[in-house]
Order: sequence, then structure tokens, then C-alpha cells
Amino acid sequence: MSQTTSTIPITASGEPVWELPSRGVVGMACLIIAEAAIFIIFVVAYIFYMGKSLSGPTPQQVLELPIFGTICLLSSSFTVHYAVSALRKDNLRGCILGLGSTVLLGAIFLATTAQEWYHLIHDHGLTITTNLFGTTYYSLVGLHATHVVVGLIMLTLAFGLALRGNVHEAHSEKLEVLSLYWHFVDAVWVVVFLVVYVIGR
Amino acid sequence: MANANPVWEAIDETPTTRPRRLVLEVVHDWVTTVDHKKIGLMYIAYALIFLVIAGIEAMLIRIQLAVPNNHFVSPQVFNRLFTMHGTTMVFFVGMPILFGFGNYLVPLMIGARDMAFPRLNAFSFWISAFGGILLYFSYIGGSGLYGAGSAPDIGWFAYAPLTAKVFSPGHSTDYWTLAVFLSGIGSVGTALNIVTTTLCLRCKGMKLSRMPLLVWLYLVQGGLVFVAVGPLTAAQIMLLLDRYLGSHFFDTQAGGSAVLWMHFFWIFGHPEVYVLVLPAFAFVNEIVPVFSRKAIFGYPAMVAASVGIGFISLSVWAHHMFTVGLGAAGNTFFVFATMVISVPTGIKIFNWLATIWGGKIIFAVPMMFCVAFLFQFLIAGLTGIMLSAAPFDWQLSASYFVIAHFHYVLVGAILTALFGAFYYWYPKVTGRMMNETLGKWHFWLFIIGFHLTFDFMHIPGLLGMPRRIYTYEAGRGWDNLNLIVSIGGFVQAIGILIFVYNLIRSRTQGDIAGHDPWDAWTLEWAVPSPPPSYNFAVEPTVNSRRPLWDLKHPEDPDSDYE
Amino acid sequence: MDEVTRIQQQAQHGHAHQADTVHLPEPTAMPMVLALGISLLITGMVTHWVISLLGLIFTLRAIVGWFFDVFPHEKHIDVPVEAGILAITTTRTTRDQLPVSADHRKLLPVETFSITSGIKGGIAGGIAMIIPAAVFGLARYHSVWYAVNLLAAGGFVRWAGESNAFLAQFHLEGLLAATGIHALTSVLIGLLYGAMLPMFPRKPILTAGFVAPLLWTGILYSAIGIISPILNDRISWRWFILSQIAFGLVCGFVVNLQVRVRTPQFRALPFAVRAGIHSDNIEQIEQIEEAEKTKPVDKKDDYV
Repeated sequence: MSQTTSTIPITASGEPVWELPSRGVVGMACLIIAEAAIFIIFVVAYIFYMGKSLSGPTPQQVLELPIFGTICLLSSSFTVHYAVSALRKDNLRGCILGLGSTVLLGAIFLATTAQEWYHLIHDHGLTITTNLFGTTYYSLVGLHATHVVVGLIMLTLAFGLALRGNVHEAHSEKLEVLSLYWHFVDAVWVVVFLVVYVIGR
Repeated sequence: MANANPVWEAIDETPTTRPRRLVLEVVHDWVTTVDHKKIGLMYIAYALIFLVIAGIEAMLIRIQLAVPNNHFVSPQVFNRLFTMHGTTMVFFVGMPILFGFGNYLVPLMIGARDMAFPRLNAFSFWISAFGGILLYFSYIGGSGLYGAGSAPDIGWFAYAPLTAKVFSPGHSTDYWTLAVFLSGIGSVGTALNIVTTTLCLRCKGMKLSRMPLLVWLYLVQGGLVFVAVGPLTAAQIMLLLDRYLGSHFFDTQAGGSAVLWMHFFWIFGHPEVYVLVLPAFAFVNEIVPVFSRKAIFGYPAMVAASVGIGFISLSVWAHHMFTVGLGAAGNTFFVFATMVISVPTGIKIFNWLATIWGGKIIFAVPMMFCVAFLFQFLIAGLTGIMLSAAPFDWQLSASYFVIAHFHYVLVGAILTALFGAFYYWYPKVTGRMMNETLGKWHFWLFIIGFHLTFDFMHIPGLLGMPRRIYTYEAGRGWDNLNLIVSIGGFVQAIGILIFVYNLIRSRTQGDIAGHDPWDAWTLEWAVPSPPPSYNFAVEPTVNSRRPLWDLKHPEDPDSDYE
Repeated sequence: MDEVTRIQQQAQHGHAHQADTVHLPEPTAMPMVLALGISLLITGMVTHWVISLLGLIFTLRAIVGWFFDVFPHEKHIDVPVEAGILAITTTRTTRDQLPVSADHRKLLPVETFSITSGIKGGIAGGIAMIIPAAVFGLARYHSVWYAVNLLAAGGFVRWAGESNAFLAQFHLEGLLAATGIHALTSVLIGLLYGAMLPMFPRKPILTAGFVAPLLWTGILYSAIGIISPILNDRISWRWFILSQIAFGLVCGFVVNLQVRVRTPQFRALPFAVRAGIHSDNIEQIEQIEEAEKTKPVDKKDDYV
């Protein structure tokens, strides 16, 4: 062995603190990547079949901009963020307020989607079997709505636990992971909104 | 002059004798376990069972094709055989067995006590397992229950419009879709776990640049699983919507596109090849240095090549679709991308050769399999480059040449490396060595059988024999070749039976291995064999890529060179 | 032995975990029940709805059970540690070896350029290269756009049959494509320079300014017919080499201006050099290394 190297001790004193990312956040990020891949495929299918329906109705005839629902869903991102930061400061009241308004806004969004679907099915006779527009529209928006439902169930659960006072500052990381999911659902809606309601019309 | 350096470490040794327990207790233990090692073993055991089943299906296919004008099985049964063989091998043998190894090894190698989400880990295993059972339930589900069909017969990539309700009535296609869907949930769950474990549970000092290459490759593989299995799941949902709710995604009568399914399937299908082959690289990365008594050559290049393969593999899927007619620009892009992927793979092969070069090579069974892997993987890559040229592919797409090519990858590279991994880590898992003589019998029979089968399979492909044909006429020049291919298949089967016998026999009769039989350098060899449920009594600290080398050679540790 | 003491200290302090028991997650059947539930739920789609109902019951039960496994706190079991001593030994034997060079495990070079310096060089070189190319276009065809369109033509198959007059006109798509191609290749080649130059420290101007451009031109000369036939037909190799040299000189100059960063190999250097007692420029290091090499090597043990 060359003495050049072994005579110099490699000092370990200046070692930085060993810090690793939070597993909840990383796990949720992985889930979001996988979910994003699923959504991308549905969006691609929607774009691919745009204007290829063999029969009506077409999106131009039946779709209206869901401005109110969109505003509700997007603002729920802010309220859930507020809930997390409140919990981090151990402000349980703020957390309850944030979670409650998030659940409310999410529910309003779902209601507008349900109303829109009822309108489409009942008034325009557009179902998933009608044409390619129906196929891709209901599957894409439906997939998103499913994610909203799942998120709402979990948020409601968190809201209920917070109301009962079972939630503490120690749980803020778990709530943050949940809020990441909710932000993702919102971000997907932005894409869906652009593709289905803006470009698609 | 012997120079053993006893370096002491505060690590426990579990007693070898345990009290005997009731069978029910043991079953309860395994069903409720959240221990990554037990889950890994269950993955491997379940994959081995499916390997035998799918292997028997392959043998039946080979009997049917051994001679011309054969009617050993009916055409309907033949279609089901190749569909089930392909589906089982990819989704219920390949993925689970590799996830099993990953589950077992990744936490041990990074000095963690368990996976990041132990309960999710158990869930992922069980849902994949139930997916496999559902697929095979299609065989018995056919006769008894309401509206059920029999086994799927649509080929493992289930092209539209054959999967439409009109052409595949009954539920056989649904069995395929749902089983693959379930397995997809399990795969994403396990990949998520492996990635999170790798990023979040590394022991002190285990920087990303110090992780064993096996862990790196599983990290890349996990990333690929997310972006590959997602599209498959999406496509399966669309197919289910088509079949159950009457939507028109792949319904060509209503303007839907059959080619879209091909795109969606292969966006999954090609990265899937790398999902399967990256762990095989991982095993070779660990075995080759230990049996060459040298550190791996070009660690950063290996990492870069792995990540590069991960990215490039996402942009090559349409080379499965040259015959569809993608247009000049599409063909050129996918030819180019496919050829580019041979650069990082080439880097890997050269690095393995450079690792072996000048080493003191020990030809134990794991190393023998790795050398065979290098040789066979190279040939598989070369036929891959041939097929990546679009005009060549137009001639040979969907011929036995393609079958020979991808079996060269799946059997010649992945399965061969897997056997090496079995011999290498078996002592860690059981505390006993596998029998070396039986191992050599296994090796030679398997390798000879492999080359008989798959070398000769290229030629009928070049002579125009299409894949999936039920039987063929005599006198086309395919007869003798097919017979040789079938005989080779049975030689391989004998080799694998010896392997299974060796696995079972060595469990009780193998030589006691001790904790570090190969004088290796990664952390899993610093704990007793088999490892205790908590892996490490004291959470370890590492200072280099080869922590055990540092402990064994305190006068010349690797950490001096980082 | 540093390692050993550290591990022992950790064991004594009971770093976050007591040495006699280890927290592990409690075994639970809920994941298996949930998987079974979801599988049955789905199996109902190919058999009978009653099976789905059964699956739903299992699923709900498992979700509730799982929830209480992790909330409010993850359930743990304490596994007793059966601590013993495990000797980490090696079967490796050593023997005396013929003397070999002392830097047998050296990673060279000791210093290199950072990635950004290559990018900067590439950008500067790319800008410099525009001048001879524009001069070429002006001199030959009285248009600065000629060279631009010629480069872009590699990307447009339909331009293959176009006339010189067409190429001399301004085309926005041509400008965009050419800018893209030019920027990408410039940055890539710049990166290559950043990686290569430390390997040839002695004559950077010769290497960067002349040898590398000529090599690159040689490679392109043989390959251009495949990459871009239209370029192959009209290229003027003299002007091409001129612009390559312009690129090489400027890129090499800019790269060489950048501050060098030390590679991990630097840590293996003699302490005197690292501490700055000796100057850490390359020549001196090499002198010291030469001196080291001439020392008698007592024992080599990197042989098994």
C-alpha cells in the first residue's frame, strides 16, 4: 500500500447531519407519478379521438364551461394548504376550518359535475356508448371524479378526527401527504379543464 | 501467509434451533407477516410455482410443434396455452420473482430494518398473488359459475379488436384483463415501496453514490414500473369499459382505433422488458465483482448507464409496431431510439468484462451463470439491433426469429442471472449452501438445453415460420429444426427440475454457510444467516461502497479512495 | 479500527433504539384481507355479484382494521435482540508482490472542469462559429440565411430538392430548426471539451483549437451523407473547417478560463499539497508523485 494515502487520516469530524427525505412525501410522490401516467393515457386518448366521433352530439353543442366548479376545486387547494400550515403551528381550530372548507368546496365541485352529467345524459342523451366523445369524456372526467371522491373520503375522515380532537401537531406530516394528493387532483383538473373544455370545444 | 483480520462488530447471532410449532401457527405467521424478508420469500415461492406451471405450458406447446401436422392438443387449447404461458411468465413469474429478490435484498443492502411501508408491502404481495389465482381460476371458472368463460386465448398482448365483446364472447378476456389489473396494483405498490425505502431508509453514511449497484438498479426499475404500469392499467380500464359499459375506445366500428391499443400496450410493454432485465443486471453487478475479487469497474458509468436505459426505454415502444405503418418520420425515430439504447447496455457489458479482467476469478456456480449471462445477453442484444432496423423487422416481425430473440433476453439473460442469484443468496436466506455438484449439473443441462432451443429457433423464423401457428406442413425445412428446439426445451426442463430438487434438498442437507460464505463486501453479509427479523441489531454506519471491505481491511479501506 | 469504535459507541449510547429490543411493525392480517377483498370484488365481475358483495365486506373490514393499525400510532412489537458477536473476517490471503507503480488506484485527473464550464464554452464557441458561417453565406450566395437554412435542411425532408435561391431566403422555421440544432450540438461539444481538456493539459490551444475540430470534421465528413444529404451536396469543407476552428479556439479558451474543481482523487494527495503548504498546481503534484513512485514499495496486498 502506498504510504501516501494511508498516513493521512480521513477525518470524520466535519460530517454533515444524516438527513433523509420523509417517506410519506416520497411515497406519495411515487403514487402521483404512477397516477399521472394513468391520466396521461386517458388525456392522450381524449385528444386522439377529438373530432373523430361518427355521430353527434359534439362537445361544441353540449359542453359548457364549468367555471363555478373549477373555482371551487382550485380554491380548495388553498384551504387544504391552510389546514396543514395551521396544524403545523398546532392551531387545531384553523386546521378544522381549513379541512371543513376543503371538504365543502370539493363536495360542491362534485355536485356541479353530477349536475353536468345529469344535464348531458337527460337533456342531450349523451352516454358513454353514444359516440367516441361520450366514451372519452365520461372516462376521463369520471376517472378524475373518482379521485376527487377518494380524496374527499380521506379529507372527511381527517376532518372528523380533527373535530373529535384526535389530531395533533404530530400528525401534520400525514396531513401534508394527504394534501399533496389533493393538490395533484387539482392539478389534474387544470389539465382536464384545458383539454376537455377549452381545446376540446 | 494467511492474514485474516478479525474485526469485531456488535452483531447478534440467532440460535439455530427453534421450538417446533403447529402448522397452523406457521401459516398464521406467514399470512400476517409484514417482514420484508418473509414477503420476499413468499414472492419467490409463488413465482416459482407459476414458473413450473408456465414451464409445463411451454413444454405442451413444444410437444405440439415438435413434428409437422401434429394434433397433440386442439387449436383452441393451443391458443390458450401460448396466451397463458406469456401472461404468466411476464406478470406472475418475472415481476414477482424479481420483486421478491428486491424485497429481500434492498433493505439489507442499505442497512434498513424493514421496508418503508411494511403493511403496503404485504398488501402488494397478496394482491398480485390473488391476481395469479384469478387468472388460473379461468380454467375451472369456465364450466361452473354464471356466465364465466374459460382461459383467455387472445395472446399476451391482447390486440384489439380481437378483445372486443363480438370476437371474444364470454368472460375469458375479462379474466385476463382483471388478473393483469390486479397484478398491476401489486407491482406499483411494491415499486413504490422499494423506491421509498431506497430514498428514505438508508443507514448513516449510505449516500446515493455509495449504494450497492443492485439498489441503484432497483431504484431505476421502480421508477420504470410507475411510468410503465400506469399506462397498462389505464388501457385495461379502457378495455373493461369497452367490454362492460359498451364504450368505443377500441371499437373500430364506431371510429375507435385498434392501433391505439397497440400504442398503449407497448408503452407499457417495452419498458416492461427493462423492468425485468434491470434486476438481472443488478444480480450480475453484485456477483461478478465478488467472484472476480475486484471492485466493480466504472461504478458511476454503471449508474449513469442504468438511469440512461431507464429514460431511453420509454421512447422505443413503437419498434414493436413497424409493420403497422408509422410513416417515415416515426420509423426513423424509433429505429434511432432503439439503436441508441444499445449504447448504455454496451457500457454495462464492457464494465462487467473490465471487472472480470485481471481478477482472480472463482468459478463457483453463481459466477458460471453470470458468465453465461454475459455471453447470452450479448447475443440477445445483437439480434435486438438486427430487429430494430425497420426494413429487417418488416420481414421478420411476428416470426419465430422474434420469439427466439426475446426468449434469448428473458431466458438467456434474465432467468440465467436469476439462477446465479439463487445460488449466491441462498446461503444468506437459509444458512446453508446449495449443492455445488447438483448446481453444475443444473448449469450445464440448462445452458445446453437453452442453446439447443433458442439458437435453433432463429432459423425457422428466418425461413418464414410465423409465431403462434398451431401446426405446419412437412417439407418446409422447419421439421428437424422444430424437433431440435423441442428436445432442447426438455433438456432445460430437466435442468430446472434438478435446480428445484437442489433448492429443497439443500434446505436441510446443505453445508452450514455461516454469515459470509463468499467473502463478499455488501451489508447483507454482515448479519447472521438467516437474518433476524430486525436485520441489524445496531444500525450500521458505512463509509464507502464496500462497507465489509473496510471492516476486513482496515489498513487499506475503500473510504480512502472516495 | 475507527469503524469498530464507532459501532461500539453507538451500541452503548443506544442510538434511538435500546440495544436489547427493537421496534418492529406488528404483524397484521389486514393487508391480506384487503387484497382478498379487492380481488373478490373484481372476481364478481366474471362470476356472480354475490362474490363482489363478499369482497366489499372484506374490503371495508380490512380498511377499518388497517386504519386502526396505524392511527393514532403505528402498532409495534418489541423484538428482543439476541446479541452476540459476529466476526467479520476475510478469507483473503496476501503475499509479497513485485513492485508496481504507487498510484495503482489513482483516479486521474486530480482537477477537472465543472459541467457548467463546458456549457459556457459551448455557448461561447457556438456564437463564435456563427461569424465564419455568416461570412461564408455572404461571400458565396450573398445571404446570411444560406448557412442557416442549409443546417436546418437536415430536419426537413421536403427541402431536399430546393434550389440555392430558396435556401438563401429567410425562413422562420429554418431559423428555429437551425438554432435548435446548433445550440444542442454546441452545448454537447462544449461539454465534451470540458471533460476532455483536463486530460490534455499541456497544449490546450493545439488540442482545443485544432486537433479536436479536425477530428470532428473527419467524423462528420464520413457521416454527413447519412445525416443530411442536402448538406453533403452543398457544404464547403474549407469554410466548415474554418468555423470549426473558430468554435474550438473560443470554446477551449472559455473553458480554460473557468475555475477548476477538485476530483475525489485530490483527497488522496499528500497532506502537504492539500493543506496548501505546497502549491497545488499540476506540475508540482506530478513532481511529488514522481518522487513517491521512486520510493521502494514494501508490501503489496491487493492480490488475493
